[in-house]
Amino acid sequence: MNRVRAVFEKKGRAKYISHLDLNRCMLRIFRRSGLPIWYTEGFNPHPYYSFALALSLGYESCCEILDFNITDDNMPMDEIRDGLNRVMPEGMRIVSVQPQKLKITEIAKAEYSFSLAAGAPGTLLADVEKLLSSEEILIEKKTKRGFKTVDIKPDIELVKCEKTAGAVNIIMRLPAGTQTNYNPALFFDALKNSGSQPFYAEKICRTGILCKNNEIFS
Amino acid sequence: MLKEKIEKHLLEVQKPSRYIGGEVGSIIKDASKIDVRFAFCFPDTYDIGMSHLGMKILYSLINERENYWCERCFAPSEDFEAVMRENDIPLYALESLDPIKDFDFIGFTMQYELSYTNVLNMLDLAGIPVFAAERGDTLTQIVCAGGPCVCNPEPLADFFDLFILGEGEEVNLELMELYLKMKRQGASKREFLVEAAHIEGIYVPSLYEFNYNEDGTIKNVSPLEEAPAVIRKRIIRDFDKAYYPDNFVVPFTEIVHDRASVEVLRGCIRGCRFCQAGFIYRPFREKNPDTVCRETKSLCENTGYDEVSLVSLSTSDHSRIDEMLSKLIDYTAAEKINLSLPSLRVDNFSESLLEKIKRVRKSGLTFAAEGGTQRLRDVINKNVSEEEIMNTCRIAFEGGYTAVKLYFMMGLPTETDEDIVGIADLAQRIVDLFYSIENRPKGKSVQVSISVATFVPKPFTPFQFEPQDTREMIEHKQQLLMDSIKTKKIKVSYHDPNVSMLEVILAKGDRRLCRAVYTAWRKGCKFDSWDEYFCFGKWMEAFEECGIDPAFYANRRFGYDEILPWDHLDYYISKDFFIRENKTAHGAVTTPNCRIKCSGCGVTVRTGGRCFE
Repeated sequence: MNRVRAVFEKKGRAKYISHLDLNRCMLRIFRRSGLPIWYTEGFNPHPYYSFALALSLGYESCCEILDFNITDDNMPMDEIRDGLNRVMPEGMRIVSVQPQKLKITEIAKAEYSFSLAAGAPGTLLADVEKLLSSEEILIEKKTKRGFKTVDIKPDIELVKCEKTAGAVNIIMRLPAGTQTNYNPALFFDALKNSGSQPFYAEKICRTGILCKNNEIFS
Repeated sequence: MLKEKIEKHLLEVQKPSRYIGGEVGSIIKDASKIDVRFAFCFPDTYDIGMSHLGMKILYSLINERENYWCERCFAPSEDFEAVMRENDIPLYALESLDPIKDFDFIGFTMQYELSYTNVLNMLDLAGIPVFAAERGDTLTQIVCAGGPCVCNPEPLADFFDLFILGEGEEVNLELMELYLKMKRQGASKREFLVEAAHIEGIYVPSLYEFNYNEDGTIKNVSPLEEAPAVIRKRIIRDFDKAYYPDNFVVPFTEIVHDRASVEVLRGCIRGCRFCQAGFIYRPFREKNPDTVCRETKSLCENTGYDEVSLVSLSTSDHSRIDEMLSKLIDYTAAEKINLSLPSLRVDNFSESLLEKIKRVRKSGLTFAAEGGTQRLRDVINKNVSEEEIMNTCRIAFEGGYTAVKLYFMMGLPTETDEDIVGIADLAQRIVDLFYSIENRPKGKSVQVSISVATFVPKPFTPFQFEPQDTREMIEHKQQLLMDSIKTKKIKVSYHDPNVSMLEVILAKGDRRLCRAVYTAWRKGCKFDSWDEYFCFGKWMEAFEECGIDPAFYANRRFGYDEILPWDHLDYYISKDFFIRENKTAHGAVTTPNCRIKCSGCGVTVRTGGRCFE
């Protein structure tokens, strides 16, 4: 049995597939592909697979991680990739299939790119800079036990921030994985609360899933 | 481009994937190369409409033609409707995201009466005038409807250009061909409709004039422009060779029936006197077991579904059911696919059949007993004896089942209090039976669920003449039933009698009801089949404002010699047969099923053949 890891894109109309629906969708992709997927051997056998991280509804991604097992040890990775791509819905595409290298727990952060559309991007840029240079960024985070105030400032890694004609485009890394997960929406809320320029966040895309040392998770 | 406008607001609404298309199996074509565009509209939400088998069949069938494009369209939920109205997003089709008002055909499937107001709401959302007379004479935007409800389409007559009676596999294509031909000739809409009225199965309501007697009944129906006096529904003669899709659109979000489904037979041999489906889909036709297996296989392979359901009015009436199931189970078991078998009858539910079902999946068992006493079951011609019900329950309990669900109706013709108490008694005897069985499932309690619907007399049934019980009568019977139940092991659920009253009015109504449907919709009625939206008060206001007496349609016995609103439509069954069966019913005498003895319903006379070899 071969434990494999697929990296896949979820773009265009596929961004409206919720995480719950993606599970069902993936099951049908496997079944349509006819590939020798390993099934669980319990009372109700089903293909075994898991997604490394959930992706928010409406976000695109070019780097989603899907783990599953192939019963045929000799099947070339490219053949698995092509077999799945033949039956993928519009907007979803397998980029690569490789043997699983790292443990899921190695995932530490995710990188997002997004565009904050605004009437006065200059003002918005100043708002962003002011927020990111403040001492702390406190947000109300929903947890299982109600709301908790957390400071996300130390965990925000800004990769890029630039102003265009009608927007501020940002690339940002946030904690992700089995321990802490910060959604870019937390940053949007903080910016809305602290800034003066109204904006509309769009083209949100997860561009990387990374380990602690910024190595791409694979 | 509508797409950007839609996407701008999509994340504000529940289950957005319902509004953007892109599902696996959906068919995308180049609009510039298409001659005829068809919007297949289901007047309810995506989750419900996407479960409808007829749409899947006709969608694929039309799309087989390179120059035709059939797309899907559903009623948006309230949240998205608000977004659409606020942002001027007209109702659009899911494949191209183009507004349906620009389509050649806007076709609705009418599956239940309570979806009528949704049709008006959808037309309005699309920017299409709801009244056919206000849509102009240019040959485009043909608003049409098919499905079981159009066997009496009169309460919808003012909104539609034409109705398609019977099975659509052939006639839809003929209609589209005629449209394309006449469009190229530069014909007007009226000219097209006059011509279309000569295609068998096409009913153009504007070509018929209704006159009424002083007592409100119909005096006569006169055809205009040489339209045929009687319009006959279409049937597929060789059902085994009928078109069946090898792929479905596979939704992302969960829908009501989220599985592959294969039709195994059409029509019904039973002749239950209340059942419209049992008559309007005649003649009885079966699919070859090998055909069913082949279709199951290709559907499962192409969709990736891990569940398949056999669809029919009564699957166990298939003459080769055992052979079919054996073959199917060989495939489904090997591929780890669940096979589900709805619509089994209690009288031929054999032990070997149960064994086969058990091999696949253990879910609840549901039986339609319909009447609480043998006398009443004889009246309605539900040829099921108590012994058979008990026997089936015994097999089920011994096979490990602990929950049984029974369907009944209340307000059936000739029904007395005794028949109502009979429902409780029958349920009690099933409970007692469970505890009398030695090898019953141990340590478990039995659950008998009783679901009681209010009887709705329907056109094209022997009970089409019958009045419905008034609300007072139904409420008395409901109370009586509750008082007759002595144990918590029996659970009872009801339908709202007000809903059933609206159903019968819309089912048996004539053309004068169109105004009331329109008025109710203007008052805000939509999604009438949803409890949270149903507003009986607004409907009653609408009837009053339009001068309509609901009791005239709901609680009046229609005379045998009266001209019924659907008498000019021919569903292959003769009115004489319905009258004969109605009289037989009142004598509490049963009629054997078609396989045992032909009851002379009229199908064989009209098809010129026999129903069985």
